[in-house]
Amino acid sequence: MSSFDIQRPIVELPDQNPDPEFSDEELVWTDAEEEKIEAWKEQYPEDQAAIMKVLWLAQEKFGYLPPEVIKFCGETLDMSFSQAYGVATFYHQYYKEEKGTYVLDVCTCFSCQVCGGYDILHYLEEKLGVHAGETTDDGLFTVQEAECLGSCGSAPMMEITNGVYVHNLTPEKIDDLIESLRAGEVPSFTSMTLPQDEEELGGNRRTDVESTETYQTQPRAEHME
Amino acid sequence: MPIVTIDGTTYEYEGDQKLLQFCLNQGIELPHFCYHPAMSIPANCRQCLVKVGMPKKDRETGEVELDDDGDPVIQFFPQLQASCTIDLQDGMVVETHRTSEEVEDAQTDNLEFLLANHPLDCPICDQAGHCPLQIQAYKYGPEGSRFEFRKVHKPKRVKLGPRVTLDAERCINCTRCTRFTDEISGSGQLSITNRGVKNYPMTAPGEEFDDPYSMNTIDICPVGALTSTDFRFKARIWEMSSTPSITTTNATGANCHYWVRDNQVLRITPRQNMKVNEYWLPDEDRLVYNKFNDNRPDGPHIRRDGTLAGANWQQAFAKAAALLGSADPERILFLGSAHATVEDNYLLTQLADAVGADAPRYIPHIEPGAGDDWLITDDKTPNAEGCERLGIQPIDEQLVGTRLAEGAYDLVYVLEDDPVGSGLCSADDLADTDVVLHYYNTTNETLPRATAALPAAMVVETVGTYVNQDGRAQRVRPAKEIQGVNRTLMMEMGTNREDEHGTPFDRWHNDENRINCKPSWEILPEVAKKLGEDLDYPKGPKQVMDEVQSTLEAFEGATYDAMGLKGTQLEDVEAGAAA
Repeated sequence: MSSFDIQRPIVELPDQNPDPEFSDEELVWTDAEEEKIEAWKEQYPEDQAAIMKVLWLAQEKFGYLPPEVIKFCGETLDMSFSQAYGVATFYHQYYKEEKGTYVLDVCTCFSCQVCGGYDILHYLEEKLGVHAGETTDDGLFTVQEAECLGSCGSAPMMEITNGVYVHNLTPEKIDDLIESLRAGEVPSFTSMTLPQDEEELGGNRRTDVESTETYQTQPRAEHME
Repeated sequence: MPIVTIDGTTYEYEGDQKLLQFCLNQGIELPHFCYHPAMSIPANCRQCLVKVGMPKKDRETGEVELDDDGDPVIQFFPQLQASCTIDLQDGMVVETHRTSEEVEDAQTDNLEFLLANHPLDCPICDQAGHCPLQIQAYKYGPEGSRFEFRKVHKPKRVKLGPRVTLDAERCINCTRCTRFTDEISGSGQLSITNRGVKNYPMTAPGEEFDDPYSMNTIDICPVGALTSTDFRFKARIWEMSSTPSITTTNATGANCHYWVRDNQVLRITPRQNMKVNEYWLPDEDRLVYNKFNDNRPDGPHIRRDGTLAGANWQQAFAKAAALLGSADPERILFLGSAHATVEDNYLLTQLADAVGADAPRYIPHIEPGAGDDWLITDDKTPNAEGCERLGIQPIDEQLVGTRLAEGAYDLVYVLEDDPVGSGLCSADDLADTDVVLHYYNTTNETLPRATAALPAAMVVETVGTYVNQDGRAQRVRPAKEIQGVNRTLMMEMGTNREDEHGTPFDRWHNDENRINCKPSWEILPEVAKKLGEDLDYPKGPKQVMDEVQSTLEAFEGATYDAMGLKGTQLEDVEAGAAA
């Protein structure tokens, strides 16, 4: 497993004159989408507040958000390009470049880090043969390092393509996960339960989900030993 | 009147005020970066933290509780507050870093955070010497830093636009620049991109920061992140002198500082005047400094045997006087100038009167559509209003142009303008006409046709008054030296370092860059003297202005003392009434 090695932290300047990925003909909303956007505009005192939902809609439609799509979203709401760009770059959930089918956001923030977040990340990197931030050659997986995803209790954890969380990660669990993702099976939503709930409620405090997983005593990270 | 107690001193205040601004108004310094009085308050730098409390009131009776000594018990907010967002309330008690160790520690720690990824490249940074971050880090910052890991490196030398260069590493994300483009200039061209340690202000991909007011972001940047592409690495701040004056690019009369080193103007920055330009200055006002340094004349010239040849000043005055004396007064055209000061135009009026010619008129320089209803105006001259108030009317360009072409004048006396360059007439039209020309630059297109060419001092070298389009009379002061000794200019010269002035060590001192020119208020009386007329004002333009303001209603009250640094508002007068 790779060593815990801090790279020289460099923030690159994004390409200032990228070639557009989408043509002007492609950058249009359908009537149904227009309707949605109008409804969102109604929800806020100012139209521009709907930018996050519009960006999200665009990401679902185009797959990712190259500059021309961000500009298009801004224009939809009479917002300057740079302001829309500022919003889009703030959130890592908006993909500014094309990603793999499955984006694996491995949390390496405080709790996950001490419970082995980096071990999991490096294990994934080695298994898939890519570095964090890169996509595998078959276009299936993108591995990313994420800041806190709000599930410290089940550390270390990861999120799959802005969707379901996978909790209490171990190398074995990663192996199974990758295998099932390759087969096209995305794990279902799993609710976390507290150990004391196990008996009383059949382990499931939520009535709306099938599967549950119980909080565990966290393992000590390999790199801490 | 409501009161607020700051560090044990009680102050009265009126209306709704923010604590930070109130402290600054009272001369109580509080460190801050993101707060700017003209813009919204995001409170994101967290540097202006103070301890704020209110007298404790009994919940049931509503009476103020007193301690054993009979003083009110003060209940402090559990956390320190950013003073920029706190509204003053009656009875509020504030402790700043001067009295509270907690506040002092908080400010120190906050600076440690701000500096965590700051490159600390002050030795090569343009902002060094007038950098709020540098100054406040010295005053309030920690001795060292506990962040002993590699700093995050961000893009350097990014050309945001034609005039602004970004060094993202130095940025502390105060958002002053993005708020400026959003709220003040309205172009919305800048936005903070990315998040956490990676964020910095940037334009959207493929867009340029070409806002006509873009360089204001350089002034308000509290660190060296936004620097002037033009001024970058040209001079250190402590090598220059700055002279409070006004810009002459247009009719706004925006207040500015001229920064001079080696007797050359190197940059122009805004000077606060809430009645004129507030805190701002358009880019077009700043990038004109080269005209003060380049293509400047080398002494007076007079025409001998058909060619312009160098002469001394006495010869030039004599030549101008001879031309004026010999010409038929009916066939002399006096052209005043909206580029020249009120004093110079007034003296020209006196001279025209003395020789019995028609009153001077001036050439308007209006570019329709160039203005923006803010600080950029259609009128590209600083003193058209001043001319009008003196009774100097704009010429009918077509009429005068035709008459010049017809050879209706024997002599044209031009004060600090360029009839050929402005399109009033062609150079050939002046072939048989004598021209006395007061001019600034050798690029003046009338110069090749001049019979007597008298180099005039520019706004950075003279003393005088300009009246902006709103009728505000404002003084200018000399920022750089010209050749020769002129007591008035010496007296008015900047007082940046009085002990240095006139010595080989002062910042203006570079004999090579001293221009051989004279202010028109010195030239015109000399020419009059050669004509045998008395136009003498021994106390210089100050005395001229005293006379103007006491004799002309349109200038009432505009003495040098009254104008001071911020100018004085003149009464509105009926057009032409002044004449």
